[in-house]
Amino acid sequence: MDISPLFFYGLAGLAIACSFWVVFNRNPVSSAFSLVLVFFSFAGIYALLDAHLIATLQILVYAGAIMVLFIFVIMLLNADIPSFDLARSHLFVKCIAGFISVLLFGLFTWVFQKSPNSRALGPFTVEAIEASGGNTQVLSELLFSEYILPFELTSILLLAAIVGAVALAKRKLAGGRF
Amino acid sequence: MSTLTTIRPELLRLSQDQVGVLTPYFLILSGIILAILASVLKIFSPKWPVFILVIAACGAGVSESFRLLDQSPVLLFNGMMISDTYSNFFNILFLLAALFTSIISFRYLDREKLQHPEYFILLLFSALGMMLMASSLDLIVIFIALELMSIAVYVLVGFRRADRRSNEAAMKYFILGSAASAILLYGVALIYGATGHTQLKMIFTVMQIHPESTSPVFMLGAILVLIGFLFKVSCVPFHMWMPDVYEGAPIPVTGFMATGLKAAAFATLVRVFITMGYGRGLSEILQHRVHDLLWVSAVLTMGVGSFVGLTQTNLKRLLAYSSIGHSGYLLIGVIAGSKSDLSFAPGVFYLSIYAVMNLGVFIVLGLLSSRDDSGLNIHDLAGLSRRHPWIAFSLAVFILAMAGIPPTSGFVAKYLLFYSAIQADEIILTIIAVLCSAVSVYYYLRILVYMYMMEPMGSPRLLRVPLWTGFTVAAMVVFTIHMGILPAGLVDLARKAITSL
Repeated sequence: MDISPLFFYGLAGLAIACSFWVVFNRNPVSSAFSLVLVFFSFAGIYALLDAHLIATLQILVYAGAIMVLFIFVIMLLNADIPSFDLARSHLFVKCIAGFISVLLFGLFTWVFQKSPNSRALGPFTVEAIEASGGNTQVLSELLFSEYILPFELTSILLLAAIVGAVALAKRKLAGGRF
Repeated sequence: MSTLTTIRPELLRLSQDQVGVLTPYFLILSGIILAILASVLKIFSPKWPVFILVIAACGAGVSESFRLLDQSPVLLFNGMMISDTYSNFFNILFLLAALFTSIISFRYLDREKLQHPEYFILLLFSALGMMLMASSLDLIVIFIALELMSIAVYVLVGFRRADRRSNEAAMKYFILGSAASAILLYGVALIYGATGHTQLKMIFTVMQIHPESTSPVFMLGAILVLIGFLFKVSCVPFHMWMPDVYEGAPIPVTGFMATGLKAAAFATLVRVFITMGYGRGLSEILQHRVHDLLWVSAVLTMGVGSFVGLTQTNLKRLLAYSSIGHSGYLLIGVIAGSKSDLSFAPGVFYLSIYAVMNLGVFIVLGLLSSRDDSGLNIHDLAGLSRRHPWIAFSLAVFILAMAGIPPTSGFVAKYLLFYSAIQADEIILTIIAVLCSAVSVYYYLRILVYMYMMEPMGSPRLLRVPLWTGFTVAAMVVFTIHMGILPAGLVDLARKAITSL
């Protein structure tokens, strides 16, 4: 018996439950930690799909680096007071938000049910990738040949983000001198 | 089973042609890097060197793009990017917007005691993002370029850090903008899932060969991408952020957003539409869905832009609603483009005309405002014609152009747009557009009434107009009137740009 559906539903359920916890929890630190769990369950799902590289990167980059940064920032800001109070928002707003969420859920379910479950189109099918050396090799080779432009542009994007962060953080407020 | 050829060294080598057409991008990028280096070197104060570098990079980029305007299309980087008349036309527009914004920002930053080199660097980053957006043929590249443009502008909006409104505007814009980017990216992912490609041309080919790939998943992806774009051009119902952001951002940044950002988003939208075969070969259902969606959004956008604008007294908010209204008219150009024989050229023409008059209005407002961007209520304009006849005159020309009154360029632009809509059988849409345009004339004329017919209030403050700003405004006034009388040259250029796609 194939038990991978079991794993999938377990991980997906965990991801959904933890996402709800992230949104509804009033303590930012435990919100952040449940986000770590969401990332871990995503990594599990990627591993189930044989995308081992993405699974590892997910854990290293998201669950590791980015979440540590999140928690550092939360602790630096000392924001353990519940600043976002769900009970404060209007009942009307809550009803609308709930209604739209259900509507969107229905729409997405309908769309995915309705679409034919055809084979993957495009050059990167599972067999072709398998034949040319597996996910990791194909990905790393493609990044430096076919996808060189987006790859290089990402570095420019990061440079812009760094300059922006410096502009927001480092500036002396009063003097207005460099 | 065939293996993939993933190592292709020939993709990494640029031919002479390709290097040639990439010069505007390289110039801007090297301008950015030199400016960053100049601002970290502590030998001299970076104020002047960075400003001069930015101006030089923009100027060189504009002249290079002019040179490349008649070049035949060159595909770059495995077909992910293209340099043709269309992209160079818009490169000129973006770089001129960045150039004028930097010129007026210099004095503004001095006045607000915000003279930091990061401002100009971020402005150039944003311009580079716009250029890449308008010339990319791949959804991934479009997304990265959009982010490059947006991230720089998020920071620019919040550049007056000591000001509460500026902070609020930056936070609002950042959070809503990120949500819109996420929606767009999800749409791209769904499109990739349905067709297996991110390159626009390949997606189109796949849709032709496998009609079953235009499944509901593809449809949903396309609509999500469209929503992401509609957010960036602030069409109703995705316009809520705009008045607050326009009010909170520093004036030159507001002007840059109203011209550059809007032009970039529309230019990319038109390129995506044409490359995906909108009106020529796209499946019927998808075409109808997209058409209806745009139709409803255009009507709502024009309505909100003209009716809500009536109640505004803050000039920046008023211009924000006017800008929303203009997005609606531009959507008409996109809707009608597939069926009229002018194609999308009226939309492109409208974009360039609109960019000039909008930038002009914001330059004048920058002159009129006092510290901390105050003094921009409509009452502050009372009796302006008595105090500063020339400033009042140029503002009047720009406002008349926005209202679409002859003999200014705004009239010709609207005329062409509505003409193409009639040709495309969009009679009801055109009637609504004309009515909304008539309503909006009320608030445009109110500005003129205050300037020319009201007695000045309080003690008049005399302004000193810097020489360069004076030249810039004068050139824009001449352009606005010239295009109102002799528009043929620019119309031809717009048509040539569209046919190069």
